[in-house]
Amino acid sequence: MQYVILGNGVAGIEAALGLRARDADARITVVSAEHEHLFSRPALMYVFAGQTSLRDTEPYDRQLYERMRFERRSGRVANVDPAAHALVFDDGSQLAYDRLLLAVGSRARPAPWPGAEGDGLHYFVTLRDLEKIDRAAKPGMKAAVVGGGLIGVEVAEVLHDRGLHVTFVIREGWYFPLALDRNEATLVAEHLRGLGVDVRLAINVTEIERTDGRPSGVRLETGEGLPADLIVCAIGVVPNTGFLADSRISLSKGGAVEADDALRTSLPDVWAAGDCANVTWADGSRRPEQLWYTARDQGRVAAQSMLGDDVSYRRGTWYNSAKFFDLEYTTAGFVPVLLNWDNTPIDPGPEVRHWFQRVPGQFASQRIVCKGDRVVGFNMLGSRWNHEPLLDWIHERRSLEWVLKHLGEAQFDEEFSPRFRVHERPGAVS
Amino acid sequence: MQAGLLNTYQLPLSNRSWLAWSLSVLLFVAYILLYFGPLPALGLRFDLLQRLAEVTGAALGLPAFLHSKWILYGTVYTLAMIVGGAFVLRRHGNSPYQRVRTFTVVAVQVLLAFMLPIVLQVFGRKEYYFSYFWPLKIEYFYPSVILEQPFLMVFWSFIGSLVAFPLLAYFLGKRFYCSWICGCGGLANTIGEPFRHLSSKSSRAWSIEKVSIHTVLFVALVTTAIVWINWAVGRKHPDFARFAFQVQDWYGFAIGAMFAGVLGVGLYPLMGTRVWCRFGCPMAALLGLIQKFGRFRITVKKDMCISCGNCSTYCEMGIDVRQYAMANQDVKRAACVGCGMCAHVCPRGVLKLENKPIRWKAGQPIRVYAVDL
Repeated sequence: MQYVILGNGVAGIEAALGLRARDADARITVVSAEHEHLFSRPALMYVFAGQTSLRDTEPYDRQLYERMRFERRSGRVANVDPAAHALVFDDGSQLAYDRLLLAVGSRARPAPWPGAEGDGLHYFVTLRDLEKIDRAAKPGMKAAVVGGGLIGVEVAEVLHDRGLHVTFVIREGWYFPLALDRNEATLVAEHLRGLGVDVRLAINVTEIERTDGRPSGVRLETGEGLPADLIVCAIGVVPNTGFLADSRISLSKGGAVEADDALRTSLPDVWAAGDCANVTWADGSRRPEQLWYTARDQGRVAAQSMLGDDVSYRRGTWYNSAKFFDLEYTTAGFVPVLLNWDNTPIDPGPEVRHWFQRVPGQFASQRIVCKGDRVVGFNMLGSRWNHEPLLDWIHERRSLEWVLKHLGEAQFDEEFSPRFRVHERPGAVS
Repeated sequence: MQAGLLNTYQLPLSNRSWLAWSLSVLLFVAYILLYFGPLPALGLRFDLLQRLAEVTGAALGLPAFLHSKWILYGTVYTLAMIVGGAFVLRRHGNSPYQRVRTFTVVAVQVLLAFMLPIVLQVFGRKEYYFSYFWPLKIEYFYPSVILEQPFLMVFWSFIGSLVAFPLLAYFLGKRFYCSWICGCGGLANTIGEPFRHLSSKSSRAWSIEKVSIHTVLFVALVTTAIVWINWAVGRKHPDFARFAFQVQDWYGFAIGAMFAGVLGVGLYPLMGTRVWCRFGCPMAALLGLIQKFGRFRITVKKDMCISCGNCSTYCEMGIDVRQYAMANQDVKRAACVGCGMCAHVCPRGVLKLENKPIRWKAGQPIRVYAVDL
């Protein structure tokens, strides 16, 4: 059996390991174009800052392929030929497969504004992106980071750390409404502004201005021009599936590979996992899950599915974590999005209520989302929380009052940290 | 929680550059001069550092008994810890654990390991280090040393080594000593901070460590036994007495001076700050064995690790913490000194040092719920 895995990110490598754990004799070939070894893409900001080296972000030792007898193939794939069961590389060579896993991940969403085409506009997804910004970014420069999401805030942090003056341009009314409510986003903005980052909210970019062919600034929809020596576009990521356009594989409107519950695609003997796969969410919608955790989990399920097991990928109750400069963020359960990208509010419905407290004197807050009296979600900012008890309590359908009494048990801050306590009366539910 | 970013890989001193090598050579030379004084083989006929101590002492008008290279060494060592500690507080002081721990380890050095021994000498007593115990300070169990100390100090020493330390290691982990009290660890975690990431995380280093540290412990036990036997019967067996003296002398040279001193500190800029602690210290070996069965652990938040590797990179003992985090396995390693850096630099708060008998519903796999929300 010849398994081919296209992409050596976490989904691909977890799948390869899963396959090898069950099949000692199969040929497993891993195809990659970016880097010979799996590395942690969420850690690239630390490589940029010099806190860690690229090699340190590789979770496995460099003899992994040897030990696991994975064959390595480097190169960029131009097409998949489903009839011939082969990958076609851009140099014309082919690689046959019995079973193929597409684990090609994401690429940066390209900037849509006039002036964006051509060299000089930066992104922060690939190693190549990192190298380009590393060469260009010098202390004292003005930087404009466009896009208020996870990559945007990380780029803002590393550029700020290097001594650039960062203007963070966000089109939404508050930072990252996909995860945060207005209070939490305000806390984040205050923290960033306190450190010297110029946070601009509810403002769209209309043009990338160029001088002598090089990007020299960003024009905002108010007419204001922001001069910038370095411009980074961080407006999201999209599935890296451009090469599949001619393959007759079923793709979503956004380019994600349509995958069923067993992560099979519309092509025979082809599976998909990770950022590139369109899967079903708990609310019934179909979208890729662009997270490290889910890519890891999907890779494992894809391996089982490719081995012939009758499996179903079930995301389970949502959880995630992130870090906004110095503020760690943990979320678990159902936390409704309250603002559309066009700044129209979203009403989560009459059943949904929130308990929120901002810890006095700290950049920290806790939000508990309830449906009726049942706790369904947590959004925790600025301190550490163990999501396991939080998920348990959601599953156990605990009441808000009960959770507030026991919430301290889920606190995960280091020793000598202030203990969690309720500053807001539980009655303060909105 | 870490404030700001570190730029370790952009600092030449932290990256085995010529600067680091030069510093290492300097430290080697300094320690060799300290321990071995005159080196006629190399043409050095007088004790350079002792001469320096005498000159400095006289110039400062200090009493004669302080004109000792060992006092000079202690002063430089303590100052290095204070300066290093200040830098650590500036960099990592937003963490309550790092604040309390750094302050404590520096205070212990200043008071118990520096000032108090001098005060004792001022009052005509023998110097004594209340923060050092057998088997690390092997002499404190030597009959000859025991006999010349007041009873209370001997009692302190025995209760410490045989009762208090095992109990504390069981309940708190060996971190109570190795990163809160001991001066070796104190130097490592203050002035040594720029070098902590240089520890090898390889499994080969771990294999070597397990053999070498327990070998030194065994040698320390055997040496102590020989010294006791010699005290009992040495007068009647002069050959054995000679042998015992050689063993004692060899231990002091090989383990005390070369391993702990010359290599332990000299290798900071090349192999990290805990070479002695990890590969040699018999106290670390003993407390580490107890820690394996004790309550201290680094709890791992399940399925939250993004494999960034910051934890492993910054572990001074060369523990590959990331592998535990990725495997959802609590870290229970004999080597862990509980410095807390891994938890501090983790960007997702996955790690927590704690002394809990059980973790949250230990042993059960993470549940994947599909809850109707």
